[in-house]
Amino acid sequence: MLVSAGVLLVALLPCPPCRALLSRGPVPGARQAPRSLQPLDFFQPPPKSEQPQKPQPQPVLLRKGEEYFLRLGNLNKSPDALLSPVSSPLSGGRSSNPSRDQTATNFFRELLQQRQLPRRTLDSPAGLTKRGTEHVLGGHQEAPERERRSEEPPISLDLTFHLLREVLEMARAEQLAQQAHSNRKLMEMIGK
Amino acid sequence: MSPNFKLQCHFILIFLTALRGESRYLELREAMDYDPFLLLSANLKRELVEEQQPYRRALRCLDMLSLPGQFTFTADQPQLHCAAFFIGEPEEFIPIHYDLVSIDCQGGDFLKVFDGWILKGEKFPSSEDHPLPTTERYIDFCENGLNRRSIRSSQNVAMIFFRVHKPGNGFTITIKTDPNLFQEPANYEDKCDFFLSYKACNVISQTPNGRFTLVVPHQHRNCSFSIIYPVVIKISDLTLGHFNGLQLKKSSAGCGGIGDFVELLGGTGLDPSKMMPLADLCYPFHGPAQMKISCDNTVVRMVSSGKHINRVTFEYHQLEPYELENPNGNSIQEFCLSSL
Repeated sequence: MLVSAGVLLVALLPCPPCRALLSRGPVPGARQAPRSLQPLDFFQPPPKSEQPQKPQPQPVLLRKGEEYFLRLGNLNKSPDALLSPVSSPLSGGRSSNPSRDQTATNFFRELLQQRQLPRRTLDSPAGLTKRGTEHVLGGHQEAPERERRSEEPPISLDLTFHLLREVLEMARAEQLAQQAHSNRKLMEMIGK
Repeated sequence: MSPNFKLQCHFILIFLTALRGESRYLELREAMDYDPFLLLSANLKRELVEEQQPYRRALRCLDMLSLPGQFTFTADQPQLHCAAFFIGEPEEFIPIHYDLVSIDCQGGDFLKVFDGWILKGEKFPSSEDHPLPTTERYIDFCENGLNRRSIRSSQNVAMIFFRVHKPGNGFTITIKTDPNLFQEPANYEDKCDFFLSYKACNVISQTPNGRFTLVVPHQHRNCSFSIIYPVVIKISDLTLGHFNGLQLKKSSAGCGGIGDFVELLGGTGLDPSKMMPLADLCYPFHGPAQMKISCDNTVVRMVSSGKHINRVTFEYHQLEPYELENPNGNSIQEFCLSSL
């Protein structure tokens, strides 16, 4: 009877959610699980006011073709640094380009849609999830206090070819726009 | 002197002057006299010069730059994982100059320049094709400070990694165009080799469409041209060997990993040494040879022993979506798709 009671007790106890992925405790700057549909941000840590109840970062594996892009953390933060127009007083406003920002917004939105797909269990990249946000840059970077530059593996960037092409095309558009601006100024000068 | 003798002397003098290039000098002077910009006023010239201010904008945490200018990154909040790519024309190097750096190295900030591109641990150029070991391809500001204030890449691509904890900290860099000219020649047999050395070696194409001639003149090095798109590539001319008068010296044993040859590589990463060889071109030929490669990255790589002048000319354009879905003809798709 005692045995059966013990079995019933074990069966009725609430189990912690099974996670296929290990996670660390709260890490300064660690990103959090998304709560709402927001434009994605690759590298922005969440503001302190949005510290969640569950600090463990949720890895997200996005797959497009053969390109894996692993990132951790908060998807709530809008990527201001990535999407906002140039606000530097030195820029003269020449580089603001709503179409380029729209392109960045579009591919962030596409990533968000991809994120709706079922998550995959990470096999070989499972070790990446243990390292928190630092692993977006690759390498075996544990807590900063344990880093020694002489022992660091080469820093790398986990970026898909799709995103690489997107930023490349944005750069090309910027180059062409600047060239057109220079040509226009030159023609105005000659025309005076 | 007889008139005929005078005429002959004049003819000889004119002929000798032409051979010395004086006539070209005179032609150049005439062209300068008719230069329309010489007619511009001094004020207008000054205005043109002032207008040629360097391009400036803020640098983003994830960014790609393909034009020269001055770029400033300022952290509005802790930015821990940032990288910026630089890419230039095939014949250009990327010179990076630190104008201002305000980061806290002791506090965990860093700013590193990498000579090439590195994604997911895969480097371009590969370790085999780059003169420096991987560790030396990273130039760490926190280790070198301003001792290495100006850095120049070895090819048309470079990138920086940076981390800034404190809001308000950051850095300013200047990128200038640096055409691959005026390299200090080393052991060039003749002037022709020197001028041919202007040709780029390791290149990542900025565009999915284009045409390029890869030349490796009497250099024991391997050069790669990378296209990070699925493309159809058409090789129109391949020269393996040195044309000496009427004799074409063919490279010996041009495939199988020895001798001079060109290989087509395809894969899903950036490192050519980790990509699958799709075709080896071992003998010179003229006329188009076309191949569709549906991989994310296509590389034309030339392996040169240094004994010959090798040249390959090719065109490429991006595969359309319908071509990716319906492969036909000479296409290499099974490899890249089979790894899905």
